[in-house]
Amino acid sequence: MPALKVNNLFRYFGALKAVNGVTFEIPHGSVCGFVGANGAGKTTTMRILATLDYPTLGSAEVCGINVVHRPAEVRKMIGWMPDHFGNYEHMTVLEYLDFYARALGYKGQERRQRIQEVMDFTDLVPLADRFSNKLSKGMTQRLGLGRALLGDPQILIMDEPAAGLDPKARVELKHLIRVLAQEGKTIFISSHILSELGEMCDSLLFINNGRIVHHGDAETLKRGSDSVGGVLYDVQVDGDPQSISDWCVLQPNVEFLESRKNGGRIRIDTQDPTKAADVLARMVKDGLRITEYHREERNLEDAFIDILGRIESGQEAILPPPLPQPAEI
Amino acid sequence: MSLIHLSDFSDRISPMLVKELRQGMRAKTFIVVFLSLQVFLAVMLFSAGAASTSDQVGSVISSIIFTFFSIAVLIIQPLRGTNALSSEVKGNTIDMMVLTRLSAWRIVYGKWVAIVSQSALLLTTIIPYLILRYFFGGMNLVTEMTALFLIFITSMGVTAVTVGLSGCSSVIIRLLLPVFGLLMLAYMLLVASFGRIGRSGGIMDFLTLDSTESRIGVAVYIATVVYLGYTMLSLGASLIAPAAENHAFPRRLVSVLLVLFILGLSVYDIPATWVLMTCVSIVVIPSIVVALTDSAMLVPTVCKPFVKRGIIGRTLGWFFYPTWNSGVIYSVMISLLGLATIFSAELLSHTGHMTYGYSDDLVVLFSLLGSLFFPAVWHAFLFRGENQRLAHYLLLQVASFVMLGVLSILADSMNNGGFLWIFAWHPLAYIAMLTEHSTSRETILSGVIVVDIAMFLILLIRGGMETKRSASIIQETRDNLEING
Repeated sequence: MPALKVNNLFRYFGALKAVNGVTFEIPHGSVCGFVGANGAGKTTTMRILATLDYPTLGSAEVCGINVVHRPAEVRKMIGWMPDHFGNYEHMTVLEYLDFYARALGYKGQERRQRIQEVMDFTDLVPLADRFSNKLSKGMTQRLGLGRALLGDPQILIMDEPAAGLDPKARVELKHLIRVLAQEGKTIFISSHILSELGEMCDSLLFINNGRIVHHGDAETLKRGSDSVGGVLYDVQVDGDPQSISDWCVLQPNVEFLESRKNGGRIRIDTQDPTKAADVLARMVKDGLRITEYHREERNLEDAFIDILGRIESGQEAILPPPLPQPAEI
Repeated sequence: MSLIHLSDFSDRISPMLVKELRQGMRAKTFIVVFLSLQVFLAVMLFSAGAASTSDQVGSVISSIIFTFFSIAVLIIQPLRGTNALSSEVKGNTIDMMVLTRLSAWRIVYGKWVAIVSQSALLLTTIIPYLILRYFFGGMNLVTEMTALFLIFITSMGVTAVTVGLSGCSSVIIRLLLPVFGLLMLAYMLLVASFGRIGRSGGIMDFLTLDSTESRIGVAVYIATVVYLGYTMLSLGASLIAPAAENHAFPRRLVSVLLVLFILGLSVYDIPATWVLMTCVSIVVIPSIVVALTDSAMLVPTVCKPFVKRGIIGRTLGWFFYPTWNSGVIYSVMISLLGLATIFSAELLSHTGHMTYGYSDDLVVLFSLLGSLFFPAVWHAFLFRGENQRLAHYLLLQVASFVMLGVLSILADSMNNGGFLWIFAWHPLAYIAMLTEHSTSRETILSGVIVVDIAMFLILLIRGGMETKRSASIIQETRDNLEING
């Protein structure tokens, strides 16, 4: 049974189709990144999984429990960290965590112990007496994570937790997420910073216009091996860099992408390294003085843009295939 | 700060109350009000003590104590509730609370209790001044204690109104309505406290509690404040609740039971007819207003308790689901129940026959009843979606009464109310028609009844158009129950 299962999920706000037939599964103990542009449907999907919103059609399950039919049970299993949340005036960090610990039903010594554990984990102890609305963004995010962890949830749903953080705070947050993943928690995290997601996540879900357009692990996505987009190579020559682009025009399955200082970036439409070696051999044979020839890893931003570009040009079907749509509400 | 600090409040106290008290006691508003009250009262008492030659000094001190206390607990403290819920919604903290074990009701109730607790603290601080005032003489202990108690009860009610309305996203409703309401209350307070406290006659005579009428009056007032306070807090809970919580059910059930209770009293001919009408109005009017503005989305969790009780449960569900169309059905039902209560009192009275006839009272009764439904009819056609239903309703209602005022003035000044028939589509126009004498009372009464019935029907048909989705959710719940046994 997957930790999170979303099946043909639709959410309409009047005429706006925020989520438009989303289907995916996330196994227990994995870290899954949720990627998409603003308004793509990430937050709505996450809110439905967190029992804070309701689908127009379709179902969402947390550990096999339907979020619409049994929300109270689902809430005990999840920790929710929204993209932004206000903190209270006149309330210290310690009192803030104490309020939520009480609200979650912790009592007496157990409550104090749980707060201590969470504060130790998120390094909030030095901030215990600070008013919660006077914290920096990074501290606030740590406090938010601490609050989400108070109930010791199996699954953490985090909506843009790194947004607005400085590099140091990002590193700290990434470290905390890694530790949580090592403890076996399932983490479903959305972010705009794709490179960071790539380092943290076992898999990535790309959503566009309310639909999942890709679900795969970051490595294969970066290497391009799971796509039809080909493999990128950086080629440097001794001599006129223009010679590479001129050469590429005459070659089948080789595309010149961009010029660089002493050469350029090319794409070879093959996954087979021996075919790439053939291309290199042809270059040498044709008189190009190659000084460097190496396979480039695409970064996740490139991969995401590639996927969107292919969808727009109709080269790749949107996955999962479109299903019957609900009547307008 | 060590974790031992976290034991300052017992685990038995609601988490919401703990939070609100920790925050509230540090809030500048409370500290300023608390200290100002002490300074004013101390200065006033010492000044009065120094110049205690007049026989009236005791009553003057009473007036001042009551005035300052009233301003603090009837105006300033309730105003602190105007952002109670909206601040949680704006700050995106309400979602995080919903994910704990706190229900929307506990959130709203906690916020209300926290403000009321601080008002109670203010109450305790003026007691020493009242004891000192006792030595100046001329004090009617029971009357002044009753007045103090009623002021505090009223403060609880007004705070419930501001906290309840604070769940509304419209700033106009959340702030202007309570502010204008409180200004009116302030005016009444000043008149009552400076004009009556410590002197004979009027309200203070009523508060001596030495007659049955006085005791019943005070009891009915307390019951009214409790009912209205509960209704407003429940409204606040509805406004912030996730769709899985049904706050309409207990609220509507309480109203139905109260009307049935009043009906029971009428059968035994206990209260006078005007008392009965007042009681029915107090129960029915807020109940209808809230039901016609209920705007929750129906979800299987809400349907389940009704659906699993078979056909009776499913039928009752249509009256008690927290949706607008269910609110319409419920409102028509409780209106008919209220009318039945009022008319049965007449029918069952010792005279054994109807005494109303075609009186002005009946026109007013049906006009006011129709006016409750009028904004809902307009809303159904003017606005799409569920957002701001309460705000739209209240604003349309205010506009209706402004129109009534204008029409009445015009009818008076023109000395000819014939033009009022142009506004015959509005139930309140019939009240204005009472001032002109060319049309018979029977015609006016028939007209307003026709308009009322037309509005009932329009709303029922409009509500019926929205039942398709509700029916599919109910069917989904039934299917799910069958699958899970």
